[in-house]
Amino acid sequence: MENVDEVSVLQGQVQRLQAEVSALQAQQQHGRRDGTLPLTGRLQDTLAEVCGGAGGEEALSRLREEVQELERDLHRQTELNGFSLSSCSSRSLQHGGGVLVQQLCIAGSCSELDFQVEFQLTSDLKEDQRCERKVTELNVVMDASDQQALSSFVSGVEESRDLLLFFRSLRTFSERCNDRRRTFQHFQEKYPAVVSLPGGCGSEVMTLHHPELPGCVLLVHWSVEVSREGGVTSELDLLTKIPETALQMDSRAVGGAAEAFQSLLRILGPEAALESLIQAISA
Amino acid sequence: MEGEATKGVLSVLSRLEMQARSRKAKPPQQQNSVKELKSTIDALITQRDQLKAQIETQMCVQKLRAAMDKQGAHEADEEMDDGSENSKLLRLMARHAQLKDLLHAHHLIGGYDIVKTCQGKGVCVSLATGYEGVYLDTYNLEIDLKETLRIGRHNIPPFIPVNSLAEQSNMQTDIRAFLGALSQHLNAFAGRKQQELHKSVEVLETNALCSILVLLLTVPREKIAVLCTLDYADHTRCLPTRVCIECEDKELPGSPHWKNNITLLKETPVHKALITMKKMGYIV
Repeated sequence: MENVDEVSVLQGQVQRLQAEVSALQAQQQHGRRDGTLPLTGRLQDTLAEVCGGAGGEEALSRLREEVQELERDLHRQTELNGFSLSSCSSRSLQHGGGVLVQQLCIAGSCSELDFQVEFQLTSDLKEDQRCERKVTELNVVMDASDQQALSSFVSGVEESRDLLLFFRSLRTFSERCNDRRRTFQHFQEKYPAVVSLPGGCGSEVMTLHHPELPGCVLLVHWSVEVSREGGVTSELDLLTKIPETALQMDSRAVGGAAEAFQSLLRILGPEAALESLIQAISA
Repeated sequence: MEGEATKGVLSVLSRLEMQARSRKAKPPQQQNSVKELKSTIDALITQRDQLKAQIETQMCVQKLRAAMDKQGAHEADEEMDDGSENSKLLRLMARHAQLKDLLHAHHLIGGYDIVKTCQGKGVCVSLATGYEGVYLDTYNLEIDLKETLRIGRHNIPPFIPVNSLAEQSNMQTDIRAFLGALSQHLNAFAGRKQQELHKSVEVLETNALCSILVLLLTVPREKIAVLCTLDYADHTRCLPTRVCIECEDKELPGSPHWKNNITLLKETPVHKALITMKKMGYIV
């Protein structure tokens, strides 16, 4: 004959334990959804295998191989996409009825341009298994020095929430800036007596000093701009700083310099036009 | 400090996993015998402790992951490394999670998602399109990596000149320039198409490339019909290069209001321009 009291005490214990287990399972579920406990199924399985004792070594080395493959994949994406991402964090804000709203923060750089974008992503799983995704809020932070050329574009993009446009245009902008930097650096190395870069090779200005005529300075202004629409344009202008005395001597030669340079640009393109210009001065 | 916790947690997990497997947990039902109840209690205790240990491990991994995000993978490694097998495992798991997230991020920002195919003899890239925050169609393109790069199969519509873009941008030497140009064309097309979907007025004519749009607008009071032609000659843009207004009333297109409307249509996406024009009462 069993003790009725003992049975009911034990039954009470069972109920309390069942409640504890349910609470912990809920915590795990919740954690998976809002990103605080991010282990995906794959890692969960590995954890189980490794802790299970048997086959732990194998699971560990498989995980190592997988991590190496992921590293290679990330390298490929970085190379082709032109963006080096340093971090991506996400938080689930809303979840239910097939609709998931996440808050994401992605930081990285495109060449020398650092960025951080924070956005809300709404994913709507439709009946036909299609997933409609939409950016519902976008905030872009860039380095103060880079902000200037990009500020009107960035505020336009934040308004339209066009995340993809931001990255496409950022990449093109970065490529044009790199072209400019490479070209300026090339000419400074090739013609150090004539060419100087007062603002450094990343700046918009390259100055050309006439070796024979001190005080006569030609300024090459190469601006790279991004329109509100996302179009990237390069513009080269030639500005002349000529002292009064030189102007009196031969104004014609100097006066038409800016227009002549524009024609050269149209025919030869930036590098060849600059080369011709510098050689004309050095001669 | 982290090392101690992880050592403890993982060995506890091991033990519990083995216990759980060697014991068959009975489904919780009304049990009356002391023996059955005690066995159920043992199983539940194991399950509870297992869950606790799992959650603690996951939190460890998450902490590692957060440190990695802030400092970069290698520095975080050195700080948290106590050389133990468990510590190595946790770091691997954190790195795995971080890598998956970074790859997902590349995808979300419109990356090409390059994938190797045919044992390295080719690659497949995905060109994502979107407009004003809405993710639209993704196009795929295979490139065969033989002596010269050759475009293989793709699902890009025929009115996008893939081959001529490849030539113009020197695909052989600069594949990024080619993909950038192609992406620009595809996104501009997707944007123009998306604008058209907001149709609030009658569309008389359009084409597959969405490079021409003829709209029938109505002036409210006099009910005059205005034919508005939008020419998108630059296929890399979502805004028209030319806007033409035709009307029976010859004075109307030249009027200052309509000159403004033409400017508006040139500078603003058509769906937004039409909404503004309606609000201002120029059209119905």
